[in-house]
Amino acid sequence: MRGIKFLAKRLVYSVFVLVGLSILIFTIARVMPGHPARMALGARAPEWAVERLREEMHLNEPLYVQYYYWVNDALHGDLGMSLVTRRSVANDIKEFFPASLELALYAGIFMGIIGIILGTISGWYSNTWVDNLVRMISYIGIITPSFVWAIFFVLIFGYLLALFPTMGRLTPGVGPPPSITGMVTLDALITGHFAAFFDALKHLLLPAISLALGPLSQEARITRSSLVDNAKKDYVASERSCGIPERTIMFKYLLKPSFIPTISIYGLDFAAILGNAFLIELIFNWPGLSRYGMNAMLQKDLNAMIAVILVFGLIFIIVNIIVDLIVGYLDPRIRLGVERAQ
Amino acid sequence: MSKIMKILLISLCIGGILSLGVAGAAERPFRTNWSWPTYIDPAVGSDFSSSVAFVNLYDTLLYPDVKGNPQPHVAKSWKASADGLTWTFHLRPGIKFHDGTELTAEDVKFSMDRLTTIGEGYAYLFGKVANTEAPDKYTVAFHLKESFGPFLATLFRLYIVNKDLVMANIKRPGPYGDMGDYGKQYLLTHDAGSGPYVVKEFPLEEYLLMVQNPNYWQPINLNAPDEYKMIGTCEPVTVRTMMSRRELEIADQWQPVESLKALEKIEGVEIGGFFSGSEHYYMMHTKKPPTDDIHFRKAMAWAMDYKTVVDKIYVGSVQARGPVNQTIPGADPTVFQYHRNLDKAMAELKQSKYYGQLDKYPVVVDWVSIPADNEKVALLFMSTMADIGIEVEIVKTPWGSIIEEMATEETSPNIAGVFVAPHYPEAGSLLASRYGSKSVATWEQNEWLLDPKFDAMIEDALKTVDREERFAKYGKIQRYIIDLCPSLFLFDQLEKHAYQAAYTDWPAARGEAIPIMGYNFAGRFIKVYSDKRTELLK
Amino acid sequence: MQRESIRKQTLSKKWEDVRRGWYKFSRNPLSIIGLVVVCIILFVALFSPYVSPYPESAGKFINFYEASQPPSLTHLCGTDVFGRDILTRVFFGCRFSLMMGATVLALIVPAGVIMGLIAGYYRGRWLDTVIMRITDVFIALPPLILALAVCSVLTPGIFHAMLAISIAWWPWYTRMVYGIASSLKSEFFVQAAEVTGASRTHILFREILPNCIAPILTKMSLDMAWIILIGSSLSFVGLGAQPPTPDLGSMVADGSKYLPEQWWISIFPAFAIVLIVLGFNLLGDGIRDTLGAEGG
Repeated sequence: MRGIKFLAKRLVYSVFVLVGLSILIFTIARVMPGHPARMALGARAPEWAVERLREEMHLNEPLYVQYYYWVNDALHGDLGMSLVTRRSVANDIKEFFPASLELALYAGIFMGIIGIILGTISGWYSNTWVDNLVRMISYIGIITPSFVWAIFFVLIFGYLLALFPTMGRLTPGVGPPPSITGMVTLDALITGHFAAFFDALKHLLLPAISLALGPLSQEARITRSSLVDNAKKDYVASERSCGIPERTIMFKYLLKPSFIPTISIYGLDFAAILGNAFLIELIFNWPGLSRYGMNAMLQKDLNAMIAVILVFGLIFIIVNIIVDLIVGYLDPRIRLGVERAQ
Repeated sequence: MSKIMKILLISLCIGGILSLGVAGAAERPFRTNWSWPTYIDPAVGSDFSSSVAFVNLYDTLLYPDVKGNPQPHVAKSWKASADGLTWTFHLRPGIKFHDGTELTAEDVKFSMDRLTTIGEGYAYLFGKVANTEAPDKYTVAFHLKESFGPFLATLFRLYIVNKDLVMANIKRPGPYGDMGDYGKQYLLTHDAGSGPYVVKEFPLEEYLLMVQNPNYWQPINLNAPDEYKMIGTCEPVTVRTMMSRRELEIADQWQPVESLKALEKIEGVEIGGFFSGSEHYYMMHTKKPPTDDIHFRKAMAWAMDYKTVVDKIYVGSVQARGPVNQTIPGADPTVFQYHRNLDKAMAELKQSKYYGQLDKYPVVVDWVSIPADNEKVALLFMSTMADIGIEVEIVKTPWGSIIEEMATEETSPNIAGVFVAPHYPEAGSLLASRYGSKSVATWEQNEWLLDPKFDAMIEDALKTVDREERFAKYGKIQRYIIDLCPSLFLFDQLEKHAYQAAYTDWPAARGEAIPIMGYNFAGRFIKVYSDKRTELLK
Repeated sequence: MQRESIRKQTLSKKWEDVRRGWYKFSRNPLSIIGLVVVCIILFVALFSPYVSPYPESAGKFINFYEASQPPSLTHLCGTDVFGRDILTRVFFGCRFSLMMGATVLALIVPAGVIMGLIAGYYRGRWLDTVIMRITDVFIALPPLILALAVCSVLTPGIFHAMLAISIAWWPWYTRMVYGIASSLKSEFFVQAAEVTGASRTHILFREILPNCIAPILTKMSLDMAWIILIGSSLSFVGLGAQPPTPDLGSMVADGSKYLPEQWWISIFPAFAIVLIVLGFNLLGDGIRDTLGAEGG
């Protein structure tokens, strides 16, 4: 019951944040110097054609009028036309979003699972060479920017060893599975196109790992330190004195509370994945929303840029809500509805 | 239970691995790479990759030969009226669009109307066209507002679209009144042409896949690619990986020198080059100090190190000779050419009114970051000008911002480093668009020349319908411009592509290049030998 | 007389604190490594014109005859495609990165902290609502995406890059200080100050702020690393510092075109980025352990 109330409150609040975000992004995008209409039509297009496009996009109106038009259209599901792809932005997002989601999900799963496993191992064997090794690895993971990882992987696994493809989602010639969710690996599994599944998986591996390495290490570190902290607590000592085996203590009593900080920080780490995807998709030529958004920014494609950023804002908000729900479930002490300390 | 699952899983894996190899592939695939965006709508696109797509998907009334001269294609004959205002073309009957309908004069009229109404893409070439009529099924006539000698050469850019197909796919309402969106949404991802290739798949921002048109009305060589794919990436490492795996036949032209060197080391890969008609200029603002002083401009022309540019940076390109690229019909090969001579540079500099106060007048150079080697030219310019005491500030400027700055006299920089190719293959095109008063405030002129004498000369030349006579007039204009020294004529660009010489025959690399953007990538003239490819892969 | 001795006493007490802190700090070898790395980077950055082998390589310089040389004794890290010494450019790149980090912090820390203090002190009133809701909007986007967006609409350049990062980063300070300030508000010493009629500025800056210093310091040293990282990400896509400015991120991006043959062009600057981030991270962790603050 309290959960539902909390959820409703968070949802109302999220709508408010989204509106604020749309104003912020809209202002940033529209006050930019430059002639988006001229850029869209090419350098040699006659002035009258440029002027017509400007009228069409209401670029000659004051900012608040433009925003009114934009909100009005957006509420009807029309996010405007992209100046680069020349299609409706809503259409583009529908097309490019699944690829980004797939990549982010894989990266998110890698980050969650491997991070927690590494952290647990490190905590279990704390202050042994295993622990030190894991800690060292996670330090390197944290401090290396994901674009450096990406270049490094392309070089080693794509070029020198030629083990993995470095571009796109599928090898040309491998028939793509029929699109159901738009996520190739999932579609391939559902429809039984296993060749496509393995091929897609091979394509996913390098970009997903480049994205996940940093946040993964962060998760491992947090898990380890909270395990070690909790292991010093009185209740563990008393359990131990009762003769409960170490293994049981670990898995039954220690892990659950120790995951709380790990999961609390998951939202922030996921933000890192979303942000870095803008560079990683560019490097791996991944046909996703982030690359689309990055290109939109570089080419001053106003409508596309605003829409993509809002989509990412929305994802970020959703992830945070989910994280809060899980943390609330794991930790009954956290009074739902009270803001999490950052 | 778990055993069955295991067996199932293992067999799935094996099946997956086995079926990887059998995926249906084309027999003679041909792949090139470009940067996005690519538009396949002839009324929208005008950049490099779009032009390549047009040449393969659509037909034109005339087709250029190796020198860029017009030859019959869809039109079998033509004639101009005595006043040069009406051009009549007789079409070849029996040409079929991809959907089987016949290409007629109505389609040509529709294509011209559509292009000039939308106003994007190559529409700027047809500003002089007043109206088009189709008196009968195979005759089309263009009426011009004023006489225009090089009209034929502009027709290489009039790609004929299928009227019925486009009309059937119009979305209303749209910005073009009765015509709705004029089929723009449809043509964004579909073709409506009659050309040697047909669009098969076009995932935006990824690649364009075309297959051979089995019913093309002209002969296609037997080894021509059956699949033609344009891939949207220019990332050097990716390009190199694909080249070495034989997944790419011709690489893009923006690869930096170092990358080309690495590509050349791959077995069977060679660098093919040809002069594309593009020239790199440092356009000097003639109305803004200190570049408004002719002696100051000449001093820079004498001080620039042209040799290093073509020896070390744009290797293989040649120093430009005046304002017109030497490969363009109408270029004068005898005009004066500057070379690096610091004594002469100093002598000119001393005559300029800014001598003695050079530090007060730094020269601002705007340059564009694509291709990457432009940065080297800019840095070289900066260091050579330091030799005669001229202070230079270089500014890396995004293409969009350059266009914007050049829109007004005040915001235009002292120097803009820009590549310009002619709109149609004739010297007059370049001269008019580079120095005519009509082209100030566009990215093609940073000079702000605004010289009435020049305007009169070029106008007169363009109205001359006789070719010889017209070319003589172009020559005179070129000398006139060089005297004024409004630009540094850096080099005629050698367009360089790494390509799979071992199994691909590419006419452009053999010296049969057509000096018009896109035409060197017509798939029907390219040959791919798949057996040799297989051999290389072993 | 008495005053003098009290002053001396507090001084020696402060000195004692520092000494204790240092002892605690120096017990952890990782913190020491961090400190040493940061010191080396600071030294290199401050004195880059003097310690670089070819200082002219950092500016408007070009020499095609020595271009693309692999590491050797004359050029320890090799030269790039313009013939510029990479080691020199890495040194100057550190200088730019640090300058960038310091400038951004100088911009956002005061702004973020003051806003957080005010919002925290006036908790529950409209000022609090306005400030914190604005903060929420800025935090609703991953910082890199917001910075990319701001940067892409401005003309590319180092100043605009710093502005973009500042816009994306200030809310985190506001949030943190807000949390502390709003909990301190009901503490005894704050209420005592209120009762004695101390001015609001006095309460905000003399009573509440000192209690936020430890977490702010910790966060600053950790953030230095992240800001440099975001800055290099911006210049990686061409939105940061412009040539011929030696910037680590754009050096990696430019050099990646020439991989793998000319690996030295991008590997050394990449290594420098990693080293800077590592140094400030270790130092930040060390400071946190020493001050016992929960920052970052």
